[in-house]
Amino acid sequence: MHVSTKRLASSRFAFPGASDKEIRILKRNALIDRAFERSTQAFALAVLLLLGAILVSLCVSSWDTLSAHAVDFLTGDRWAANMEMFGALPAIYGTLVTSLIAVAIAVPVSFGIAIFLTEKCPEILRRPLGITVELLAGIPSIIYGMWGVEMLAPFLNHIFPDLFPAGSGLATAGLVLAIMIIPFITAISRDVMLTVPPITRESAYGLGCTTWEVVRGVIFPTVRHGMMGGVVLGLGRALGETMAVTFVIGNNLFFHPTITGQGTSIAALIANQFPEADGAQRSALLALGLVLFLITFAVLATARYMLNRIERRAA
Amino acid sequence: MNDTTLQNFQTQQDSSTASEGAVRGPYSEAPTPDKGQPVTRNESVEENLSVRVRDLSLWYGEHQALDDISIDIFANTVTALIGPSGCGKSTFLRCLNRMNDLISSVSIKGLVEMDGRDVNARGMDEVALRRRVGMVFQKPNPFPKSIYENVAYAPRMHDMVSRKADQDELVERALRDAGLWNEVKDKLYEPGTSLSGGQQQRLCIARAIAVRPDVILMDEPTSALDPISTATIEDLMDKLKQDFTIVTVTHNMQQAARVADYTAFFHLGEMIEYNATKQMFANPHTKKAEDYITGRYG
Amino acid sequence: MLKTSCSALLAGVLALHGIQASAQETMTGAGATFPYPVYSQWADDYQDAKGIGLNYQAIGSGGGIKQITAKTVTFGASDAPLKKDELDEHGLMQWPMIMGGVVPVLNLPGTEKNSLKLDGETLADIYAGKITHWDDAAIADLNPDVDLPDTAITPVYRAEGSGTNFLFTHYLSQVNDEFADTIGEGKSVAWPAGVGAKANAGVAKQVAETEGAIGYVEFAYAKQNDLDHIRLRNHDGEYVEPSSDSFKAAAANADWSNAPGFYLVLTDQVGADSWPITGASFILMHKQVEDPAAAKRVLEFFDWAYANGGDAANELDYVPMPENVADQVRDSWGDIEGPQGESIWP
Ligand SMILES: Nc1ncnc2c1ncn2[C@@H]1O[C@H](COP(=O)(O)OP(=O)(O)O)[C@@H](O)[C@H]1O
Ligand SMILES: [Mg+2]
Repeated sequence: MHVSTKRLASSRFAFPGASDKEIRILKRNALIDRAFERSTQAFALAVLLLLGAILVSLCVSSWDTLSAHAVDFLTGDRWAANMEMFGALPAIYGTLVTSLIAVAIAVPVSFGIAIFLTEKCPEILRRPLGITVELLAGIPSIIYGMWGVEMLAPFLNHIFPDLFPAGSGLATAGLVLAIMIIPFITAISRDVMLTVPPITRESAYGLGCTTWEVVRGVIFPTVRHGMMGGVVLGLGRALGETMAVTFVIGNNLFFHPTITGQGTSIAALIANQFPEADGAQRSALLALGLVLFLITFAVLATARYMLNRIERRAA
Repeated sequence: MNDTTLQNFQTQQDSSTASEGAVRGPYSEAPTPDKGQPVTRNESVEENLSVRVRDLSLWYGEHQALDDISIDIFANTVTALIGPSGCGKSTFLRCLNRMNDLISSVSIKGLVEMDGRDVNARGMDEVALRRRVGMVFQKPNPFPKSIYENVAYAPRMHDMVSRKADQDELVERALRDAGLWNEVKDKLYEPGTSLSGGQQQRLCIARAIAVRPDVILMDEPTSALDPISTATIEDLMDKLKQDFTIVTVTHNMQQAARVADYTAFFHLGEMIEYNATKQMFANPHTKKAEDYITGRYG
Repeated sequence: MLKTSCSALLAGVLALHGIQASAQETMTGAGATFPYPVYSQWADDYQDAKGIGLNYQAIGSGGGIKQITAKTVTFGASDAPLKKDELDEHGLMQWPMIMGGVVPVLNLPGTEKNSLKLDGETLADIYAGKITHWDDAAIADLNPDVDLPDTAITPVYRAEGSGTNFLFTHYLSQVNDEFADTIGEGKSVAWPAGVGAKANAGVAKQVAETEGAIGYVEFAYAKQNDLDHIRLRNHDGEYVEPSSDSFKAAAANADWSNAPGFYLVLTDQVGADSWPITGASFILMHKQVEDPAAAKRVLEFFDWAYANGGDAANELDYVPMPENVADQVRDSWGDIEGPQGESIWP
C-alpha cells in the first residue's frame, strides 16, 4: 500500500525501467527548477509592487495637499511655505525648461561624438576616448554642480552680463545638465551604433555614401530604438537631477516665464526644503514628488509611444 | 552536387577541350604570361582593360593577407575569384573599392588602377571611387528602409536625380535590371527586409547598380541562397556584364564555370593561377589549381 | 528623511567630544546650525572642566524640533522660537541661549566699504523686487554723499529653510507692511526676485561674484570674512554698525519677562544703538522629562554656560545672554518635572 502511493506520486517521472535513484534525481531537479522559476517570478513581481507602493505612499502622504487645493497646487505661481501657498508651477516650469535645454544641447553633441568614435576615430584614440566618455558618465552629479557654480556661472556672467546678471539661472542649469548627460547619451549611442553589422555599414559606404550619409540613412535608422532609449534615459536623469541643479538654478520660487533667469526645479525645491519641512509644507513637497514621478513617467511613456509610431510607419 | 550539374560541368569541359585543339600537357611546358595577364585570353571578343593590379600586398597588422598580387581585369566580363577559405579573396575584393580603409590596422603596398587611375593615390577620394565600384555581400542586407528607398537613397544623395519622376524611373530601371521589378512593383513602400532572401539579394544588386558604377564586386553573393534564387542571380550576372564589369568570389566551382569569363585561383594570399575560365577548368595550368578544382584540395 | 539621517550621522561623527565621553555621561541635543560653533566650544570647555561630553547634531532648526518632539534627544535647538500654543501642544518649554545678528552685505564697486546706508523700508522694497537699480531715488535719498552707479540690484537669499531667513524676513515684515502682506516672515519664503544660495558661504560667494548683489548673512560669518556690510537705520532713526555692542543694545531693551514662553524676536528694537536684525537662538526641552538624570545634566551644562561661556561666545562673535535674562531662564527651569512630578532643578 505504502509503496503503491509512492509510485503513484512519482509517476510523472517513472518511465518504465527508471531506477529509484534516477527518479529521485529527476524529482529533485524538478523541485529546484520550480523554486528557481518561482523566485525569478517573485523578483519580477516585487518590482511592480515596489513601483505601486511608491506611488501609493506618495499619494497618501500628499493627500492633504491634493485634496485641499489640487488646482491651486498645479497653477499657483509661487511656493511660499511661510504663507502656506504651495504653487508647483515655477518648479514644474523650471524642471521642463532645464531638461529640454539639456536634451536640445546634449543630443546633437552626443550623437556627434558617438559618430566620431564609431566611424572616424583612429584606432589608437578610440579606446582612450571611449574610456574617457565612460569615466565622465560615471562622475557624480555633484561634481558637475560644483563645476557649474565655480566655472560656468561666472563665465556666463562674464560673457553675457545682461542675460546672466548673477550667472545662475534656468539656462545655466540646463547647460550643466547637458554636460552631465552628454557622456551618458554618448556612451549608449556609441554602444548601439557598434551593434550595426559591419556589412550593413560597408554596403552603404560601398554605394559611395559619405560618412554623414551612411550615418543618417543607414546607421541611425538601424539603431534608432537604442539611441532613443539613450536620449530618454538622459532626459530622465536631467528631470530628476538634484544637486547639480540646486547649485546653479538660482532657487527662485516665483514663476517667471524666463529662460536665462532664476527659477527652481522640482528636485531642487524638494532638496532645499524637505529636511526642514513638516505639516502642510511636507505634504505639499510630497505632492511635488508625485508630480515629478508622473512627469518622468509621462516622458518615458510618450517616448515609447513615439518610437512605436516611427517603427510602425517604417514597417 | 547533383547529377545534372555534374553532367553540365563535364560537357563544358569536354567542349572546351575539344575547341582548343592542341591540348598542352598539364603544368609542363606552360607559357609564362606577362605579369597579371591570364594564361589564356578569350579570343572571341575584344576586351578592354578595366582594373589593373600590380604587386599588391596587404597586411592586417603583422599578418600578411595578400602577397604580390598582379592581375588585369577586363571590362564587361565576369571574373571569378576562387580558392580555399581565408586565402584572401574578400580582402582582395575590398582593395578594389578601398573598403579596407575602414579597418585601421590595414597597410597596403602595390598598385591598383581603375581606368588608368591609381585608386590609392593621395588625391583620390574614396567616396568618388566607391561610386564607381558597387559592392554586394554574402548576406543580403537591405537597409532599414522601404524597397524604394533602398534603391533611391544613394542616387538621391549623389544628386543623380532631382525630380521625383526621374527618381521613380531610376528605381524602376535598377529593379528591372536586377530582375526584381515584377515581384515588388506593387509593394515598393514595404520594408526591404520583408522580402525573401533571394529577393533581398537582388534588391542589394539593384541598390548597387542604381548608382551606375563601372565595376560591381560580389562577395559570395549566392552562398546564403537557395538553388533557385542562385540560378536567378547567375542569370542576372550574365546579363549585367553588358553594362558592368563584375568581379565575384565564389566557393561553387559550377557557378564559376557557368558565369565567369575569367577565373583567378587564390591560395594563402597568393594568386596561383589566372586563366580564361574554360581553360582553368579544362586544363589547369598549375597543380594546386587542378587539385582544388577537382576537389582533391581544400 | 534619508538626508536628515545622513546629516545627523555626519554631525554625530563631527561631535568628537561626544564620542570620547562614556555613554552615561553624554548629553544629547540636535537642531540649529547657527549656534553650533559656540555650543561645541562650550561643550569642549565643559568636557575639560567637568568631564561630561555633548553630542550635538547640527541638523537645522526643523530637525531639532522634530527630534525633541520624538524624544530622541534630551534637548532641541531652534533659531526661531516656537509660539506658546505650539509649545503647549507638545509639552515643551523654551528659552534663549545665545544671541547673534543678521547683516546685509553687498558688492557694489565704486562705493566705499561699509558705508552704504539703508533703512528697513528700502531693504524690503529691494528684496520685494520693487527697487531694481542702485541709483534708485529711495537709495539715493538715504545716501546723499554717495555717487551711486546704475547697476542692477541682484538680491541674494538663503535657498534652504533657515533661522537666518526667519530673522531677516521677520525684520522686513516688521518695518514694511506690504512686505509683511505679500512675502511675509518664515524660515522658507518665496522671494519675487533674485538668487537663492545655500548657507552663509553660498550667499557670500554669490554676492562676491555678482556685481550689484546684496545678501544677508550671520554676523559672525560677515565679520570673519570681512564682508562689505550695510549700515542700517534702526527704530530710533540712527544708522548703526553691526557689532556685539549693537546686538547687546538691542537685547538690553528686550522685555523677556513679559514674553510668554520666552517668545521674543529682537528685531527692530528701540534704543539709539540697537542693531535692528538681532535674534536669539533657543533651546527646547520637555516639561515632563522621562530621564531626570539626563535632564539635570543638561540643565547643569546650560547653567554653567550662562555663567562661564561669555568669553567663548564673544570670541566667536556671538552675544551671550545678559545676566538678568539668564536668571529668568534659571527660574523657569523650576517647571521641569520628573516622571513622579518631582522638581529636578535646582
Ligand atoms: N578585419 C580583419 N582583421 C584581421 N585579419 C583579417 C581581417 N579580415 C580577414 N583577415 C584575415 O585575412 C586572411 C584573408 O581573409 P579573407 O580575405 O576574408 O579570406 P577569404 O575571403 O578568401 O575567405 C584570413 O587569414 C583572415 O583571417
Ligand atoms: Mg570571404
